Amino acid sequence: MKSVQVLIERDPARFVADLENHWNCKKTFACIHEKSATAAPWLSDFPERIPPAYREGHYALLTSGSTGAPKLVIGRQERSEELAGVLHSVQDSEPVRETIVALPLTYCYAFVNQWLWSKVTGRRLVLTAGLARPEVFRESLRHARDAMICLVGPQAAMLGAMFGGQRFTGVIRLHFAGGRFPQEQLPALRQMFPNAVIFNNYGCAEALPRLTVRRAEDGQAASDIGFPLPGVELKSGEANELLFLSRYRCVAQLDGEGFHPVASSQWLANGDLARADGQGRWQLLGRASEVFKRYGEKIALPNVLTTVNQQWPGQVGYYREKDRAGEDGYVLILSPPPDESHLSGLMQALRARHPRTHWPLRIECTATLPMGTNGKVDSLAAQTTEDRTLLWRQRL
Amino acid sequence: MATATLTTNIEKLKDLALEVFLLSPGEFNLDLKREQIETWDSLGVVSLAVGVQETFGYHLTQDEAINITSIRGLIAVLEARGISFDE
Repeated sequence: MKSVQVLIERDPARFVADLENHWNCKKTFACIHEKSATAAPWLSDFPERIPPAYREGHYALLTSGSTGAPKLVIGRQERSEELAGVLHSVQDSEPVRETIVALPLTYCYAFVNQWLWSKVTGRRLVLTAGLARPEVFRESLRHARDAMICLVGPQAAMLGAMFGGQRFTGVIRLHFAGGRFPQEQLPALRQMFPNAVIFNNYGCAEALPRLTVRRAEDGQAASDIGFPLPGVELKSGEANELLFLSRYRCVAQLDGEGFHPVASSQWLANGDLARADGQGRWQLLGRASEVFKRYGEKIALPNVLTTVNQQWPGQVGYYREKDRAGEDGYVLILSPPPDESHLSGLMQALRARHPRTHWPLRIECTATLPMGTNGKVDSLAAQTTEDRTLLWRQRL
Repeated sequence: MATATLTTNIEKLKDLALEVFLLSPGEFNLDLKREQIETWDSLGVVSLAVGVQETFGYHLTQDEAINITSIRGLIAVLEARGISFDE
């Protein structure tokens, strides 16, 4: 049986044409963004390692997943089509006539919520280079007609910086996924998109990709992810580790260690911590890696980041680091460099709301935070960015 | 990564206060008083004493550390120990 085809996302229009052809012929294919094509040595020969049973009716997307190590998540086409239909209903997308793409389509969020949704529902797909070409993206927004756009949280602040004060009335659905929901940016987003219903989409690559959806107005906190979609079950494991079952999720994963089928009854963890309230509504508590102990005190970085986001309209990144005593800590990075009023406002808020153990080890700034191909801050790359400037360091 | 080069004792003291009390450069001035800085609490007193030892090589006594109630008060204590602050 013929091996799995690999589609490299380079030219968006060409990539979409390839996607159409391969999806329609039901032969399994793998999608990889050109910038990720050499992300791991095993990518050079992986197609032969996908077992014959998975070489029809499936597709694979390359992701860093919850561990940061590249892996392919392999999904079943018909299940993802089913999810696109569920999202259409849950997100009240019937009035939507087109979707404007601002993220790579190899990113599972854009792949399912936009490309596959547009294919399943017969809506128009508008390709752009996203915020990498802001003038083109702005024109797409200006000419939008009953449009849906899908963004990741950090892009909210970038939109405000680039298009603040402008109104795009043709956008009627605005979705966020991939990282923290930009709750603090909602007033500005509602001014910019006065006719848009805004949604917080929650999921992960392994879920391909959706687990929950909530309307922005149905919650007051970025951590509120709402209720599981039909066909999805969530539960908290030990130490509030979020575990999920889903009929839409990946059926196998392939990484440097080998091929790993996922049994339908196997609870998967995605690295987030969460718990449900009495009504079954879920709240994120952070990433497992974002909650740690420092001098015996539990530090939940999402709480600190909430404070930072309330004071700082720009982008925020962070990375973990130990202090000279060997205690776990973290470093904040702001972009662009803040002026004195923003910096003092941020520091006043940190002083007022967080004890000394919760403060960052350092606050740094940089002109531009490195972003991954999925539009999220690349914290690993941020850690080694050369043009960082020290704004403050904690005296220990 | 870019960092500033410290030269004078005033600059060293300013940097120390920023780091100990989580202040931005614009918030610092020599007339700052303890009651104006919520982080000049008991932990702040200890951190300040450790910082003074590391920065100026002088070990504040417990009474000194507790009774200093302003940046100028800290300067006065250090100047009495021969550490010069030329504004």
